[in-house]
Amino acid sequence: MVSQTTTTICPFCGVGCGLNLHTEDDRLISVTPQLDHPVSRGQLCSKGWSSAYGVDLRGRILHPLIRTPRGFRQASWDEALTTIGEALQQVLNEDGPMAVGIISSARATNEDNYAAQKLARAVLKTNNIDHCARICHSPTVAGLKQTLGSGAMTNSAADIFETDLIVVFGADPTENHAILGGHIMRAHLAGTKLIVVDPRRTRLAKLADMHLQLKPGSNIALINALIKTILDNHWQDSEYIEARCEGLVPLAAAVANAYDGVERTTGIDLETIREMARAYSKASRAMIFYGMGITQYVSGTNNVIALSNLALVCGQIGRPGTGINPLRGQNNVQGACDMGCLPNVYPGYQAVADLAARDKFSHAWKTALPEQPGLTSLGMSKAALDGSFRALILFGEDPVITDPDQNQERLALSKLDLLVVAELTMTDTARMADVVLPAASFAEKSGTFTNCERRVQHVRQALPPPGEARGDWQWLAAIARQLGSDQLDWSDSEAVFREMAALTPSYSAMSYPHIDEHCGLQWPCSAETPDGTAVLHSNSFPIGRARLIPVHPTEIDESADAEYPLLLTTNRLHFHYGCGSMTRKSPLLEREIPPGLLFINPADARDLGILHRAPVGVRSRRGYLETCAMVSEDLPPGLVSMPYHFREAPSNQLTNNAQDPVTKMPELKACAVAVEPLPPGRVPRSMDQLNAEQGGIER
Amino acid sequence: MMSCYLLDTLERLHSHLARVYQIVQPLEDVGQSAPPLVSPKGYFFAEQENLFVFDGECFRETLPQPPPFVLFGVQSCDLTAIAYQDQFFARDPYYQARRQQALLVGIDCVTPCEHGFCASVDAGPGVKAGCADLILHARPEGGWMLMVCSDKGGEAIRGMELDQMDDTELRARDRRIDDCIAAFPDDSHLHRGIAAISQGRVPDQQWQQLGIQCLGCSGCTTLCPTCSCYGTRDLSEDQGDIRRQRFWDSCLYESFQREASQHNPSEEAGERVRRFWTHKFGDNFAKTFGRYGCVGCGRCEQTCPGVIGVHSVMRRIADYAPDDDV
Amino acid sequence: MPRTMMSESAELLSLTPSVAELLDFVDDGEATRRYRFRLRDPNAMATPLPGQFFMLSVPGAGEAPFTFTTVPDREGIFCGLVRRVGSVTSALFECRAGDLVGVRGPFGRGWPMEQLAGQRVLIVAGGCGLAPLACLIDQLIAQRPYRELALVYGARQRSLQMLDDSRQRWAQQVPLFDTLDTATEAELGGALLGTPLELMDDILLRLGWVPDKVLLCGPEVMMNTLACFFVERGHSPRSIWLSIERRMHCAVGLCGHCYLTQHDLSHHYVCRDGPTYRWDSLQPVHVALPE
Repeated sequence: MVSQTTTTICPFCGVGCGLNLHTEDDRLISVTPQLDHPVSRGQLCSKGWSSAYGVDLRGRILHPLIRTPRGFRQASWDEALTTIGEALQQVLNEDGPMAVGIISSARATNEDNYAAQKLARAVLKTNNIDHCARICHSPTVAGLKQTLGSGAMTNSAADIFETDLIVVFGADPTENHAILGGHIMRAHLAGTKLIVVDPRRTRLAKLADMHLQLKPGSNIALINALIKTILDNHWQDSEYIEARCEGLVPLAAAVANAYDGVERTTGIDLETIREMARAYSKASRAMIFYGMGITQYVSGTNNVIALSNLALVCGQIGRPGTGINPLRGQNNVQGACDMGCLPNVYPGYQAVADLAARDKFSHAWKTALPEQPGLTSLGMSKAALDGSFRALILFGEDPVITDPDQNQERLALSKLDLLVVAELTMTDTARMADVVLPAASFAEKSGTFTNCERRVQHVRQALPPPGEARGDWQWLAAIARQLGSDQLDWSDSEAVFREMAALTPSYSAMSYPHIDEHCGLQWPCSAETPDGTAVLHSNSFPIGRARLIPVHPTEIDESADAEYPLLLTTNRLHFHYGCGSMTRKSPLLEREIPPGLLFINPADARDLGILHRAPVGVRSRRGYLETCAMVSEDLPPGLVSMPYHFREAPSNQLTNNAQDPVTKMPELKACAVAVEPLPPGRVPRSMDQLNAEQGGIER
Repeated sequence: MMSCYLLDTLERLHSHLARVYQIVQPLEDVGQSAPPLVSPKGYFFAEQENLFVFDGECFRETLPQPPPFVLFGVQSCDLTAIAYQDQFFARDPYYQARRQQALLVGIDCVTPCEHGFCASVDAGPGVKAGCADLILHARPEGGWMLMVCSDKGGEAIRGMELDQMDDTELRARDRRIDDCIAAFPDDSHLHRGIAAISQGRVPDQQWQQLGIQCLGCSGCTTLCPTCSCYGTRDLSEDQGDIRRQRFWDSCLYESFQREASQHNPSEEAGERVRRFWTHKFGDNFAKTFGRYGCVGCGRCEQTCPGVIGVHSVMRRIADYAPDDDV
Repeated sequence: MPRTMMSESAELLSLTPSVAELLDFVDDGEATRRYRFRLRDPNAMATPLPGQFFMLSVPGAGEAPFTFTTVPDREGIFCGLVRRVGSVTSALFECRAGDLVGVRGPFGRGWPMEQLAGQRVLIVAGGCGLAPLACLIDQLIAQRPYRELALVYGARQRSLQMLDDSRQRWAQQVPLFDTLDTATEAELGGALLGTPLELMDDILLRLGWVPDKVLLCGPEVMMNTLACFFVERGHSPRSIWLSIERRMHCAVGLCGHCYLTQHDLSHHYVCRDGPTYRWDSLQPVHVALPE
């Protein structure tokens, strides 16, 4: 009857809402929002409200499991660690450190991520460390690093209430970052102007002052035309450009012809472009939010650069209520990047290629560190296919569901000599593992998450881990010990954080007590800014002057054609998260799965003879799946859309893995498909059924 | 006429009641003006409740067996809601098994809270005698008035040596409550909104517009002290038993009414938003329960990310009220 | 004004089912089966009226409402018609004879038997909507209280028709019109091509009498359009009855799922106040109805 309350942070998206976990006899009985949380202010989305179901013991992995020819068998930690240690050692002996790697998790804490990259670099001696930012915001990091010197949200959630114009560019915040989306609605209702640029008619688009329903992949064409309009009319902030930017002349030259064919390319008329250009440049404070609609293209990095050009030209960076603000997908994708779970940087984005940085970490960790740049997650998959990459430790991710071109991903994982997966539940990826380790959920461990506005927040343990589950850095440390290293032998999470903060300039003035005192601290938080930084780049950029870099439109890799006449884009639903492994444990959210998962415009549906909720087959050059259609005006003709959460009908059967040349970000937002109606009354076959019938790749 | 005593400290009542009852205090500080974030409805209508177990041969009802407990310091809005739920769940064995064990100690509010409007919907700020067993009222001059309003309440404080207080004190209490009522901000949008809803004057188009803003988060229905919808599911136990569980549901979910055939009578978000507010302010519901379903706690205003909590909605629809109904 | 804190002496409900055994089943149309169950305790349930329903629990899968096609006899044996559409029905389809299920009921208001005496009664069913009428039709034909009785049964296609043997039996006693939305010449047989609404004028012409009472059960759109059809032709809304389907979890007016969507009626729970409604009672109150 009497419950205990633990204050912590929501484990879902990058907004980082404050949660109270109410427990009774070591059982999580309910979840409520934190009334005084600086971002969420007493609110939660459906995922947050349902998070108690996500960590429910039902379906949880409670013991280490080892694959046998007859399936998994329960094993002790000792046996599992011995198996892992021996297999890793063998691969290291035979093929060296480039044959092993770690994919860490944007769901896990900073402490876990710090430990993962340290295990890779200091113990396994490889820079093969990556995580799923690859498929969400790697172009943000790459693009903004070049133009501004820092790849994070420049402003804060609170700025939504301090701006005159909000531009939402290729993002669906009410579904994916619901509390921020709600703040945007609230600000808009109170009079802030709202412009939405999105091929789909999103919820915010329905409420916005302007909706630019551009064609998928035409971001740069549109942005360059906006910049041309601004420059032609002298609407730019010349003083700001003069004082803080470089490269205006080449940019102006590059956009000079931006009107050529722009109406056809983007589907937006020049009058509307002009109106938006005027609104954005004339607003005294304008704030851009963007999401996967910018990054998940072969031109992802250039898309980010283009947006940055637009903001810089108008002087809309460096003040409250302005900025260029990527909406990060995972609760801790910002933190996983900050912690250096990327093949080319140490914690705090200190480059592996920089000798001074390498010396610094080598000195701190008292060991020699590898020079060779590491592989990205997709690079590891590719190397696995040709046999040069053989052992992978992976946790808190389900790439079989969430990565593009599922069949290739399965094949790559099946080629590994050793696949270790630490998880809460048996995901499709865990099913392919040689050793499965039971992981602790967010409610069962302590540490920190960094939300999308760079706020480092304290995650507190409310429950003991069930069965033999362990926190991630703890089992990572056990693997290190197995390999004869005490590099990860910390006493507690706070000790991990202290070591990390001492090596990471932007976290250097942070500590657990200091974080608690301020309800989270926004980096950079160092001696100069001991209480954190709400707005980046107020006086200068980390690279001195911001760079305006000309970029040119790139066509999407695979356009619709006669054989595959529709363009498929992907979206997310408010009710589900990632591969659904947590949200689908809620009976309420599970029920909310729409009866159809392929969203299609009524005109296309009519042409194809597809009725609302009728079964359909969807085919691309890479795969085939069956689902039901949701006929919806929210999609323009020629474009269909699928959420990627559902293993029965995974959109990544179809998506294209053509990549951004800079970051290897796959083009998840556009590929060509053919849609056909199935006979009425036919129940769509799940992917498992289709695989079984067609002899899919099974291990 | 209820009897009224002078209580020097809350601790005294606390320790006396603790002899018989487990003490549950929903408020951090008895006497704070804001209601707790979570309403006490879960103490009776549990967020997750096991209904029965099937052991392979028969179905066995699993009624909860809580010890006697006291909800210590519940504000009038929440007590009014409990009285409402008492009617709704009058025949629900699980609710009643919990409810019969409970003693309700109310606390008068004497200052308005941020989003609350109990006075506008006849649910406070003073605790009504029929809604609690005991009522506490803070005296400005120190100490507490303790009012006994049920036999159960009288029984609970038997043995405490307390001085009886006279009518003057009760009149002073009434004055302070009246002062509190007068201190609430303008509530004309609420009255106009209620008139618009209960007379069905809000056009579908307006509900659809509000529906766009409903994210289906379930926050309002979770926190609303009179929301009572639930879903059920079967869960397999380790020993092979199967248990049926009921859990709080929300009528704002798109799938709330969706049938197995996929037919959905309330597919449009606007329909669901309309139903939610009709449930809180519809005259037909008021006829059944003797009052509106809304008790003016204002929690939905605080927690709705879509800005369609009670004040926001009422301001948007107030203009549909008939002109003479201000 | 103070209210009583607790409704005293109210009899508590039970949400716990009684055990019943699955006796057997026969296929009856596409993905549809007629199941026979036997209550372990034959007295576990009051005698249902035609049109009332029961909640069937398949342990592990959950609970859903079904109508009686025959009501429990002295041994507690009764029938229900089940089309496989969701998780509960799918689980039932996996059950075998001898498996135990849970049953609660009867619930809701049945068809207005007493009002059909001496009347010309037209019954129109669509798709699965025949199931809640089957028991009524059997009783009517057995007792013959009516002056005239005719049946119309619409289905989208031949394979989706149900209760073939019952319909054949009824067709020998009363006029019965099968209609099919789509069919080849061969599939059509004796059926009419079209929806019941499209064919109603023709059917009434063939009958040669005008119904005093119309009972409807099927998809909501079909019932609503047919009710309007009859009202437009001068029938009193008080002479038309229909049976409404909703998602249900409790069947006793608590879980909230089965509310009616009409603004004025949203305090109605179909499980308790329905599932059968007279057409006028579903109309907005401020609309004057033709007598």
